[in-house]
Amino acid sequence: MSLFLIAALPFIGAVFPALLIRAGRNAASFSAGLTTLLAFVGLMINAPAVLRGETIHARLDWLPGLGLNANFFLDGLGLLFATLILGIGLLIILYARFYLSREDPMGQFYSYLLLFQGAMVGIVLSDNILLLLVFWELTSLSSFLLIGYWKHLPEGRQGARMALAVTGSGGLAMIGGMLILGNIVGSYDLTVILQNKELIQASPLYLPALILILLGCFTKSAQFPFHFWLPHAMAAPTPVSAYLHSATMVKAGLFLMARMWPVLSGTPEWFYIVATTGLVTMVVGAVIALFKDDLKALLAFSTVSHLGLITMLLGFGTKVAAVAAVFHIINHATFKAALFMSAGIVDHEAHTRDIKRLGGLRHLMPITFTIALIASLSMAGIPPLNGFLSKEMMLEAAFHTTWAGSHWVIPGLAVLAALFSAAYSFRFIVHVFLGPKRHDYPTHPHDPGAGMWIGPALLVVLVVMIGLFSSPVAGPMVSTAAQAVIGGELPYFKLKLWHGLTPALYMSIGAVAGGAILLMLHARLEAIWNALPRPEAKTIFDAIIGAATRLANSVTDALHNGSMTRYGAIFVVFVAALSSYAYATGTLGDPTRAVQAAGPLHLVAWACLVAATLGILALHHQRILALVLIGVVGLVVSLGFNYLSAPDLALTQISVEVVTIILMLLALNFMPKETPRESSGGRKLRDAVIAIVGGTGVGALIYALMTRDFLFPTISEFHLANSYKGGGGTNVVNVILVDFRGFDTFGEIIVLGIAAIVIYALTETILNSRVRARLLNRQPDMPQAGDAHPLMMVVATRVMMPIALMVGAYIFFRGHNLPGGGFIAGLVAAIALIMQYMASGFAWATERQRFYYHGIIGAGVLVAAATGIGAWFNDKPFLTSAFGYVHPPYLNEFELATAALFDLGVFLAVVGAVLLALESLARFAWQPGMSTEHAMDINPARDDAPETVNIENVKEV
Amino acid sequence: MIQADLSIILPEIVLAVYAMLALLAAVYTSKDKLGPLLVWSTGGLMVVLAAWIATKASGTHVAFGGMFVDDGFARFAKVAILLSAAAVLVMSQDYMSRRGLLRFEYPLLVALAAVGMMMMVSAGDLMALYMGLELQSLALYVVAALRRDSVKSTEAGLKYFVLGALSSGLLLYGASLVYGFSGTTLFSGIIETAKHGEVTIGLLFGLIFLISGLAFKVSAVPFHMWTPDVYEGSPTPVTAFFATAPKMAAMGLFARVMHDAFGLAVQDWSQVIALLALLSMFLGAVAAIGQRDIKRLMAFSSIAHMGYAMMGLAAGTQFGVQALLVYMAIYVTMNVGTFAFILMMEKDGKPVTDITMLNGYARREPAKALAMLVLLFSLAGVPPMLGFFGKLYVLRAAYDAGLAWLAIAGVIASVIGAFYYLRIVYYMYFGDEGEELDSNNQPILWGFLMASAAVMLLGIINMFGVEGAAAAAAATLVN
Repeated sequence: MSLFLIAALPFIGAVFPALLIRAGRNAASFSAGLTTLLAFVGLMINAPAVLRGETIHARLDWLPGLGLNANFFLDGLGLLFATLILGIGLLIILYARFYLSREDPMGQFYSYLLLFQGAMVGIVLSDNILLLLVFWELTSLSSFLLIGYWKHLPEGRQGARMALAVTGSGGLAMIGGMLILGNIVGSYDLTVILQNKELIQASPLYLPALILILLGCFTKSAQFPFHFWLPHAMAAPTPVSAYLHSATMVKAGLFLMARMWPVLSGTPEWFYIVATTGLVTMVVGAVIALFKDDLKALLAFSTVSHLGLITMLLGFGTKVAAVAAVFHIINHATFKAALFMSAGIVDHEAHTRDIKRLGGLRHLMPITFTIALIASLSMAGIPPLNGFLSKEMMLEAAFHTTWAGSHWVIPGLAVLAALFSAAYSFRFIVHVFLGPKRHDYPTHPHDPGAGMWIGPALLVVLVVMIGLFSSPVAGPMVSTAAQAVIGGELPYFKLKLWHGLTPALYMSIGAVAGGAILLMLHARLEAIWNALPRPEAKTIFDAIIGAATRLANSVTDALHNGSMTRYGAIFVVFVAALSSYAYATGTLGDPTRAVQAAGPLHLVAWACLVAATLGILALHHQRILALVLIGVVGLVVSLGFNYLSAPDLALTQISVEVVTIILMLLALNFMPKETPRESSGGRKLRDAVIAIVGGTGVGALIYALMTRDFLFPTISEFHLANSYKGGGGTNVVNVILVDFRGFDTFGEIIVLGIAAIVIYALTETILNSRVRARLLNRQPDMPQAGDAHPLMMVVATRVMMPIALMVGAYIFFRGHNLPGGGFIAGLVAAIALIMQYMASGFAWATERQRFYYHGIIGAGVLVAAATGIGAWFNDKPFLTSAFGYVHPPYLNEFELATAALFDLGVFLAVVGAVLLALESLARFAWQPGMSTEHAMDINPARDDAPETVNIENVKEV
Repeated sequence: MIQADLSIILPEIVLAVYAMLALLAAVYTSKDKLGPLLVWSTGGLMVVLAAWIATKASGTHVAFGGMFVDDGFARFAKVAILLSAAAVLVMSQDYMSRRGLLRFEYPLLVALAAVGMMMMVSAGDLMALYMGLELQSLALYVVAALRRDSVKSTEAGLKYFVLGALSSGLLLYGASLVYGFSGTTLFSGIIETAKHGEVTIGLLFGLIFLISGLAFKVSAVPFHMWTPDVYEGSPTPVTAFFATAPKMAAMGLFARVMHDAFGLAVQDWSQVIALLALLSMFLGAVAAIGQRDIKRLMAFSSIAHMGYAMMGLAAGTQFGVQALLVYMAIYVTMNVGTFAFILMMEKDGKPVTDITMLNGYARREPAKALAMLVLLFSLAGVPPMLGFFGKLYVLRAAYDAGLAWLAIAGVIASVIGAFYYLRIVYYMYFGDEGEELDSNNQPILWGFLMASAAVMLLGIINMFGVEGAAAAAAATLVN
């Protein structure tokens, strides 16, 4: 049968029980059993070829880009494990049919079980380590579902969670190891990897790969210090414990270590990590097992101990030890599954598995007693059972192994573990089945129906058969499996009961005798054990989780306290760090430009700039002062522009500066004059340091830029050369704005207009909403000036207005060839008009407003558009400008460019936009009952009729 | 000439013109009553555009003198962006309508953001990059603060805006430095400069600033500060949107800039991005542990996922880009499903985001709980869900590129990260019965949840061909 089918059958079978449960419990279990049996038969069909030494392959490309292929292969090791998984699986399915009660949802159980079975078969048949990973994690998931099957038990939920957390995390860690391994070899196919021992062990990444893979194996196989999840997983129904936690899933780690044995073993790292872990686990598990009163907990720790034993054997790295490991895997699976099932029978019949409440069952449950007796004697290592054979081999291997130069550490501890192992095995029999019959069992125990005991009975028959006729029964299987593990010539070994008077035999006798004595002293030892303080794995696990949560919270709280300044600070600090990295790794040439000399005047201006900046920092709580200082900064900057040959920029800067300051003054009208003081000294210091670092960095960067030439000619050359030729103007900036990049400017004036209209729309909305009431009722935090419209200012602004407009016009007209242009002119004109609002009052200015600002904006855009469209009539693209010279009589020749018309559009749009925005915002200030007294409007009735004057309410912008 | 340019950029034009016309039409007609209709028409148009782009002739087309590039990479990213944006839009309709949040601007803002995103992944020039980025960002700032009467929502929007402006400034500064030291804003020109000489320190600074600005957009640590606040404060459908399409777009843009403009200086940016990836993975994993609000949790989860995606970028190889695309496609699909679930979480008609409210959920809603379980395991990267394959891709890409330390760190971070996803599963399956959530089975949300979970399971067969498409897309970007 194809390997694909064998691997797929359990998954296909997982569907049936869930569907067939409506047809009854028998149908569900039968369907599960049948698919398993089919897979088993399929495996057996392939078995002869494998036992002859062949390897069966099945390949299918899946995600080739990722190196993930659905490749399977079946060799001796795979055959051994697949037989165990499917064979014991069959027995478990039978057993579970009678074990589960009516209330348990059986369809679900079998579905989970088959899902798990499929994942296990997938692991042992995979020929691709990525595929193996997929199946590996699938076992964690399905076992999570199985352990938590009894949802009403809190232990079950905790056990399931712990098992998934530990084994799932281990599996994720293994991904890293597998990736490294695949990368070293250049292929993710196991068969290829297994042939590259030298390559892998020579790689510098061998150790990380080893550790990551072993993490996966150790967590899965419950090796110290990850062993704690296994006893907690015992909350699962007993068939699950018997299947997952003794025969199969926990063996997956062992399987992988055996699978990787040819390429990973043989190094000191392997020996010290694997053998030591195995040794410690073996001893710790055995000691704890003796003192557990829960039957299943006893078996669980004994499983931990035996898994440690096999790990240790694999860790030795010798061929003989590997053979012993393989053999013990078979033996342990048989006797431990039988023991779990007997423990389940006891629990099922007596309704308790507390050893302290049991005893004397041999008369009540003779069949169960026989099964348990044989299985536990095998576990204790009594001849002629199979446990004895592999234990002998283990002791023999241990006797010949030195650990860190010491000859006695491993043999000594191995005997100690064997001694405790014998003791708890005896205890299982003596304290449960022997002794006087009791009268206080929760229910009256008796042997169950054949359905429940036939499974363990079959296993026990195997235990005896392998023990008595080891070579014919188990020999071929052990040889081919061991061959697959070792990957070379098999060492000489003989599976037989009597090897002569070897040291191992003496050790074994000593262990059994010691075990018997230990059991006799059990009551006294238990008192000592209970008095000793010992770490409880679960509390440690919970403490780790708790600490992790607290750590996580402290990190989150420290970083995310919602404060913008903190976010900003982290932002700046990190960018500064990255920049210093860039500075450290990059190369910086020598400066190519000389630094200009600075005269005393420059220094004064510079000092003003710095003083004003520092002043803002110091006085920023007083908003008006800060605003004044910002004005100073803007002024110095525009002076700087002017000095550095950018008069256009200087003009723009200064006019924008004025408009913005007015805008901010307007805003300040509605705000408290001071900002709250909330920074502590430490925070100020921190912020100062960050600001200085950031500022210095930016300064240094700019300095470095300014003292060096660019690698290529700057764009200025092009414009200087083409500005007059192409655009008819000598003011490059203006030509760029209205000609070369006229399309941009056209877009910008539209955006400017939209922005102004949006401000208008928003203020309208706000004034029509609830906010209006609050605006009307607001109390200014300082009294308004008595004279809202000082005479001097009114006179000055009115005189200034025509002059300012004249200047605007002048700037506009000279713009094409000299500094100036529509944009600046627009700002200047706007300032001239705003001054009227400020000095004479909103109402006064509005009365004299002839055109809506909306219209002015629209006119500006339309004029600009019309100019652009004009080009079409000359078969030129949109916005191509033309210019020519006219020589009217009596005047000098002068130039006319269509660009000037376009500039007019810009001018109008700017004027309209600025005024509309400011006017909209100014309307917030209006309050009912406000009447304005205009200083310059001579009202003949003023002196006669003072009642029309309402000075207290004069509040204006 | 211009006709050829326009025909290349036609999908973007169609979407942009649609959005503007619909905006005007809605203003002059019944406004918010049109909300549901606009949601469906916008979603429908996006799906049509996605189908159109997916079936468009292959090959690389360049428009506007290299400013706009339409290649396999851009098309892959655009299809993912449009489909996820459409999915999230459609999912949000019922939720927002019932809460009176469905203003007619919402679907149109999403459409405009999508135009920006399409521009981003097609940018062939620093200016086109910035334009696309800002078009997207401005729309996002507005939708983040969509719930104007909620302090949290407006605060989130404001924070996002202020920090976004900071990062935009940084990005512009970087762009001007790059221009200053290479003499061009075209990516194809910048890469020439790097070919001729070593990367000068000025260009390097420009690169660093560009990376910082882009890292903000993908919410990579430490530029991620806005993410938890915005995710928590925004209405849930908006959060879902934030978690999907913009992430794809920002990652696409990131990859495009790095490879198209700086593809010959991989060693200069690879380490920086690797560092960002490392920080993101760990902070995302660690900080999420303490979260009880599922939206905040998803914020940290997305930060961690961006870390993994950046791992593919840090590799600097063609396989790395392929891994990035596959990862993002899977990530977006997972998030659509997860948010469909979160949108269904409500009690007495009010949205609930506390994860302890999920206690015992599996007993009442086994199907939905199972779908969520699949999604959460997929998010955690547990095999055999699709999420695992995405992780495997980026880990391999990083490893093959010599970033073994990053790959190992990624594995460790994913182990930490698995914990908090697992906790939700634990609450759903084994939690004690507590207050019950409403049984909300809105068919669209239910459908998206189930479909997304099914994709996580069935996708492992052949990833629905995404692998091949991503490989082809990556090949057009890296050469």
